[in-house]
Amino acid sequence: MGTAYLKGIRVIACTWGWAGSWAGSVLSDLGAEVIKMESNQKLDNNRGHFKRGETGVNSGEFNFTNRGTKSCTLNMKKPESVEIFKKLVKISDVVITNYTPRVMPGWGLGYEVLKAVNPGIILVSLPGFGSTGPDHDYVAYGPTIQAASGLTWSHGHPGEEPILAGVNPADPAGGMYGVLSVLAALSYRARTGIGQHVDIAQSEGITTFIPEVILEYTMNNRIRPRMGNIDEIMAPHSVYPCKGKDKWVAIAVGTDAEWETLCKVMGKSELLKDERFSDRFTRWQNQDELNKLIAGWTKGFTPYEVMHKLQKAGVAAGASLNVEELINDPHVKERGVYIEQNHPEAGKSIVFRSPWTSALTATNPPAPMLGQHNDYVFKTLLGMTDDEITRLAEKKVIY
Amino acid sequence: MFYKVLDGVKVLEFGHLISGPFCAKILADLGAEVIKIEEPGGDEARKQEPFLGDIAGPERSGTFLYLNMNKKVITLNPATVTGRKIFAQLLDEADVLVENNSMKRMKTLKLTYTQIKKINPRIIMTSITPFGQTGPYKDYKGGELVNTQMGGVGFISTREPDTSKAPIKYPAHLFSYQAGLCAAVATMAALFYHRGTGSGEQLDISEQESTLIDVMNPVYNYSYTGHIASRAGVLTAAPTHLLPCKDGYIHNGFVRESHWRQFVNDVMGHPDWADKEIFKDYLSRAQHWDELRPLLVEWTMQRTVDEIYRESQGKRIPIGAVYTSAQVLQDRQMAARGFFVEVDHPQVGKIKYPGVPYRFSEISQDKPTAAPLLGQHNEEIYSRLGYSKRDLVKMEESGII
Repeated sequence: MGTAYLKGIRVIACTWGWAGSWAGSVLSDLGAEVIKMESNQKLDNNRGHFKRGETGVNSGEFNFTNRGTKSCTLNMKKPESVEIFKKLVKISDVVITNYTPRVMPGWGLGYEVLKAVNPGIILVSLPGFGSTGPDHDYVAYGPTIQAASGLTWSHGHPGEEPILAGVNPADPAGGMYGVLSVLAALSYRARTGIGQHVDIAQSEGITTFIPEVILEYTMNNRIRPRMGNIDEIMAPHSVYPCKGKDKWVAIAVGTDAEWETLCKVMGKSELLKDERFSDRFTRWQNQDELNKLIAGWTKGFTPYEVMHKLQKAGVAAGASLNVEELINDPHVKERGVYIEQNHPEAGKSIVFRSPWTSALTATNPPAPMLGQHNDYVFKTLLGMTDDEITRLAEKKVIY
Repeated sequence: MFYKVLDGVKVLEFGHLISGPFCAKILADLGAEVIKIEEPGGDEARKQEPFLGDIAGPERSGTFLYLNMNKKVITLNPATVTGRKIFAQLLDEADVLVENNSMKRMKTLKLTYTQIKKINPRIIMTSITPFGQTGPYKDYKGGELVNTQMGGVGFISTREPDTSKAPIKYPAHLFSYQAGLCAAVATMAALFYHRGTGSGEQLDISEQESTLIDVMNPVYNYSYTGHIASRAGVLTAAPTHLLPCKDGYIHNGFVRESHWRQFVNDVMGHPDWADKEIFKDYLSRAQHWDELRPLLVEWTMQRTVDEIYRESQGKRIPIGAVYTSAQVLQDRQMAARGFFVEVDHPQVGKIKYPGVPYRFSEISQDKPTAAPLLGQHNEEIYSRLGYSKRDLVKMEESGII
């Protein structure tokens, strides 16, 4: 296994929080050298969440989202830092950032400046709402972005108020669109020699995942209701209680053949003669009664028992996995999705690999310590002397 | 296409429903020539709601129209000998094959990677399945509902006071789309590396894996403390809730203590309960949420979503406006960026669709073309492959196209 796809590509990551940092981590899995810029003057806000270890700047959240990157500390409030940054831009291919759009231009490092230093440079920015438009500087976290995208309003049990989800899909989606844009711009540059600024709005990213919500309105002038587990046409199509506390299994039946199989596996062949459930439409109409009957059966088994019984017979079913079950699931384990790493300060840390398998993708080392690669960046890449570095550290430029 | 980035890249899509077609759509949006193979009955997505005017029909599904803009479509029955021959011709000239069929079906059709590689050794074959190409569940069935639960996001799908209600899925087909995006990223990386080298590979994309990337906080929390997140106990940095207003809901997300202080003092005008000891920090506020909520709601119910959203954001407090689809479509920010695009289709006319979330500074944006009608490009593609119009008639009569 080697990290081949982006071998020789150097990325400067001016990132924090989740989406931008994780984009950097995925780029490093693809083989790029990713240098994360931070300083004690402006730490990644993720370092504050779930702190681990003595230095007080390592956290679960940071370590999870920055795996495989290199860390370099420059205090961007100092004019000398801006000059050093430009030298690094000169020998890099990509700058990626998810800061609010005013931050980098505020340091004197807007796209036009970067381009003047290195005409081939690619800048990918992924703020919550994009770098243009009247609200581009709005403060954006996952939930703020999801609210503006139409996702939050649509999430919940049928007939009830909207409800907050336990995960924030805007962040991974934004990060993935960031990686996509880096790859697109690199391909374009390879063909034409032209670099550019690609600007992403994370709010638009998540909206591209829910076109049905938007199109229900643009096509039929209706706001799509909250549907919980109800499908447009499939029934049974729900999550059912199983043996044990908070144990559940999902079952989704599409065809008549699957319905027949389900009844046989449940040992309830009499349902096949029941007119309430005789075709797709009546099953959909009478799904509340149907769901009660199925729940009566699933309660006698564990989620895994139901899943295996039905899947082996050809019906789609899946256990509702909690985080412990997910990490330890035999299938997930065999595919090597989660990896245990030993972080120098945080100790044993479980992380996941990028979501594809290919002989050319690798899983990189744990997230760096703050400033761990300063020597590499300042000496090896930029050719500074020890004296210079000491002087800059004293002036809190390297900080 | 939206941007001419992948000029000259040829993609063959043998996909259905969402994840495969969305992956190919992303490549088409970036300028690749995508030829989609539909079996004579058509992609199942043509039967998916919403339908224009609530009239079902293969050219009226919003899901299909969105997923297949910028593509060319041919019909082909790959189970016939002639169909297989044509498939091989198309594979021979393609750079990428995107497919989301079961492994069993691809084997029956003699379209495994080992077989495809013999036809075209430099092809990148992007295979998307519910659980990936290896492992004990590789032949298990999936779909949005099952995948949501097996991908770990279902178990924590809601934040509720107790766990008596079942986990739910997320709106529409959110995670099937996410799988398509992950597949497109892997494909772009492979294209960047392999193009012009003569080498290729198969990319194995599991919908379960592209879903579980959303489960982050619970993983490191479990990793460090053994804590198992549930719907009743999802870890949050501060009490974060949806609150009702005069005309909808706002999301309060006081990520930092300063956000809370600013909101109470500068937006709410420092009510007398603000200094109560029980509301002093986020842990305490979370504990006493039942007392705090009515105090906040009394105030929010006097105001509209936009009043609270704009005033708070003007003071750099991360309040969210919980917009309906109608409000998203009217939102001044998305409008200013030209996110929604109007596309004219011969049968459904002009409809607004979500566009793409990225803007390239050095490439001008093109207008996308409408999703094709069933078999729309048969004549164009088949004549390119050397078939005459008379051949097409015979092939149609034989159930091949």
